[in-house]
Amino acid sequence: MSTINFAIDLGTTNSLIARAGNGSVDIFKNPAGMKVTLPSVVAFRKDRILIGDKAREYVEKDPANVFAAFKRKMGTSESFFIANDGTFKTPIELSTIILQELQHFIFTGEKPESVVITIPASFDTVQSNATKEAGYAAGFKEVLLLQEPIAASLAFANREGKEGLQGQWLVYDLGGGTFDVALVKIEDDEMKVVDHEGDNFLGGLDFDQLMITQLFVPYLEKQFGVKDLAAKMLSAGGKYNKLYYQLLYKAEEAKITLSNHFHADIEFDFTDEEGKEEEVFFMIARDQFDGIVRDKVTYSISFIRELLERNRLTPGDITEVVLVGGSTYIPLIRSMLAGELGITVNTAIDPTTAVVEGAAYYAGSKASKLEARGASGASGAGGASGTGGSGSGGSGSGGTGGAGGSGAGGAGGAGGSGKGHGGPGAGGLGSTIEVKMAYQPNSREQAEYFAASVMRAPRGSRYRITRSDGGYDSGLKPVAERISEMLVLLPNTMNTFQLKLYDEKGEQLSVEVPEIGIVQGMYSIYGQPLPNDICLEVDDTDNNITHLEVIFERNTILPIRKSVTKTLSRTITKGSDDQLLINVLEGSRYSSPQSNLPIGIISISGRQLKTDLVKGCDIDLSFEITESRDITVTAYISMIDEEFTQAFSPSSRTVNVSRMKEEVDYLYRVSQRQLDRLLQKELYEEGAALQQAMKELDTIRQKLKHISDDDVTDTKYQLDDQKRKLAKVVDASERGGKILMLKEEYFDKKERYKELLGQSGNQELLKRLESLGKEENEWMSHCSAQFLRWKIDEMDRMTWDVKKKNIGYVTNLYLNYAMRPNEDYIDVNEIKMLKKRGDDALTRRNPEEILGIIYRMYELLIDKDRDEAIRGTGLRG
Amino acid sequence: MSQDLWIKMANLVFELEKKLSTQQVSAGIARNIDRMKAVVAEAGLLLLNPTGETYTETRTDLEASITGSGNGALTILDVIKPIVYISQDGRRSLLQKGVVIVGQK
Repeated sequence: MSTINFAIDLGTTNSLIARAGNGSVDIFKNPAGMKVTLPSVVAFRKDRILIGDKAREYVEKDPANVFAAFKRKMGTSESFFIANDGTFKTPIELSTIILQELQHFIFTGEKPESVVITIPASFDTVQSNATKEAGYAAGFKEVLLLQEPIAASLAFANREGKEGLQGQWLVYDLGGGTFDVALVKIEDDEMKVVDHEGDNFLGGLDFDQLMITQLFVPYLEKQFGVKDLAAKMLSAGGKYNKLYYQLLYKAEEAKITLSNHFHADIEFDFTDEEGKEEEVFFMIARDQFDGIVRDKVTYSISFIRELLERNRLTPGDITEVVLVGGSTYIPLIRSMLAGELGITVNTAIDPTTAVVEGAAYYAGSKASKLEARGASGASGAGGASGTGGSGSGGSGSGGTGGAGGSGAGGAGGAGGSGKGHGGPGAGGLGSTIEVKMAYQPNSREQAEYFAASVMRAPRGSRYRITRSDGGYDSGLKPVAERISEMLVLLPNTMNTFQLKLYDEKGEQLSVEVPEIGIVQGMYSIYGQPLPNDICLEVDDTDNNITHLEVIFERNTILPIRKSVTKTLSRTITKGSDDQLLINVLEGSRYSSPQSNLPIGIISISGRQLKTDLVKGCDIDLSFEITESRDITVTAYISMIDEEFTQAFSPSSRTVNVSRMKEEVDYLYRVSQRQLDRLLQKELYEEGAALQQAMKELDTIRQKLKHISDDDVTDTKYQLDDQKRKLAKVVDASERGGKILMLKEEYFDKKERYKELLGQSGNQELLKRLESLGKEENEWMSHCSAQFLRWKIDEMDRMTWDVKKKNIGYVTNLYLNYAMRPNEDYIDVNEIKMLKKRGDDALTRRNPEEILGIIYRMYELLIDKDRDEAIRGTGLRG
Repeated sequence: MSQDLWIKMANLVFELEKKLSTQQVSAGIARNIDRMKAVVAEAGLLLLNPTGETYTETRTDLEASITGSGNGALTILDVIKPIVYISQDGRRSLLQKGVVIVGQK
């Protein structure tokens, strides 16, 4: 036996839907806009039906076709004439539309057959039956009614964990447009409304209006000498009409602010009678607001007094007042109820949702009387209702993946039209609805034309197209054999839409319609992948060389953008020739910067600066690559508040001549050293290749002497190509010699550090070291010397904290320095003294002390490996 | 930062940009605003300013007040709050409806 669970608050101004389950209540949100409330407004526009927020926008503009507050007419024989199609709608039919719309909020796909709907305490039998009828017409098979004050009371009772409230209490319900107060108590174990009072035309909207007419308008009239401003604002064609809506919004905002603060700021632009635009700013204090709404509140309290008198009660007999309706957030209402009547005010529950919440709790405790096949919350029975057949197939909500592929198949933006084919659906007995769609899958417009043919849909069917992000809703439109729609698109992105069909009763028809996908803008779905890493050249200040830092990895899909913040690795003095280089290169991140392809370089020279760029200051870099591989690099230096930006296209190259000179120099020196090593080892063959490379490097060097930075010929590009080839040769040669040495050092250190860290018990560092080791296979076989040097440094840095405390390590380090001949040091006398001090310190086994001596010895060291140095780019790695 | 805070920030950035659009601003200030917008975008928010666009009743990402008679083609005359979409796990959804005033141009 299952419980009803679902509940609907069918309000005069707003409606809500909720579901009880697992001891709590879920209030559903509108998929278009994520609000829980649905304005109870229906608009019959020329070609579509709008429900809720969109309908409400037209309430004043199109009163002949837009209907609100029809709850007031329930149970009467009055009906509403729709000017646009010449038909009539009864209040019941309008309520049915709201009830159907609310069911779309249920995102779980459930289709409840039983529901609890709330009604005002003032509803008589006829009005109550009318509500039930509306429920049945909306597709529910079982409708239970619950009085609103009772529903609200249940919400409070449930929240506070009591069985129910005590004694007799009042429910004060001030909504958007109506006011009701009820006297409720528990009698014979049953909660009942003893008596009630109200005014159908008093609500929160009045307060907003009062703020405008009594606070804003007088202020503006006084400040700017405008006469009759209120009338001018309300006149639809008048020049102050726009201001009216702006102020209405501000008034509502201020009203909400004043519920939580004692002051609210009002700010807006005002064009005076002469056409001059003024910035208006003033503050409203809570007392002022209280002053203008006090009368209305007092008026509402008079109903309570009447109610009490009629029932021969005094305020002392009432245990508490329970607040319902958004307007009860206003502090004045709470304080006046407490002050004037002396009754405790209960604000434990959100007044906007109290009624639907309580109704849901009630629904969760009521067993459904429907038979087993109609158990609530079971799978959706799509298709025609009324014939009583259990629907076959799923309820086609958001049908994706139907036959025939959706328009998203337009890969590469070939501009072909997308066709979607909706498979046959069981719409009842024997009929098969068929939907064929046509539209452009790529568009450059704000909205794209969509057409479809719908065959064999039952008479009176309607359709609706919504965008999956909630920003577009076609509204309910009548189905014809040919339908068309303008689908609004979000810029530069993929837009997906769902087409759904409904029968004339509002039940969804089960047809599988594939998703509609339209890409707006230049963006195409299958982006181009990057063929190589894109890297930034950064400094390794410890070793005075540079290495590459990856910005975009190979195979990343374009377009893409990324921003990083770097710091300056050295001061760039103003007026100097020094440059800060933002050098973007294409090629493996494991190679040397000199051998990779420069795709863009921004150089900021000291001469351009008005002040020094201090070491350590921040540089915000952002990189953007389009599909056609145009790169835009932007550098922003906050210290001087300047931005440098440049775009580079793959078809035009940029070569920084002075940088190339530095690189060629560097390569030459590196080659020289390598050559010496090779010759020492008597590796004459390898030496020959290197010697040739050096000759060519020298030629380039000579040629570069005659080229300036702004040379317009192609020479520099040719030289750059040559340089890169030679850099690869040098790299390869190094790989033989230097790299071997470095590899030895790397593995050696890795082992020693593992031991060291194991001894120290530092698990975190050990893990980091191990993961470093795991990556080895990726780069070990083809990396450059700089890269390897950098990895070794990384290990050194990682373990420094542990090393410097380890006496064994420090002792070894000291001995390394102590064993060098005194001539390796600048000051022989000092080094002699340091060695004596060091040997002495060894006996004391204090790592810190020994380290101090080591530092001093390092400073005196002459040959700090200066040959392999290249000026850095200025960006700290 | 929680979503609520991001929406507040997005609204404030929008308001600031709107105020400055009527004045002459230094390039420095314009830069800061661009960078604030970039940070908001990095947080996954898509900010749209529909000023000047055509208004249709199918745009559920707008909360419109209609001035004038309400007939004929309507344009968005003033934007009080921007449209904000959020992208989460590859899905985009409406976070804040734009509050606008529409009417005949």
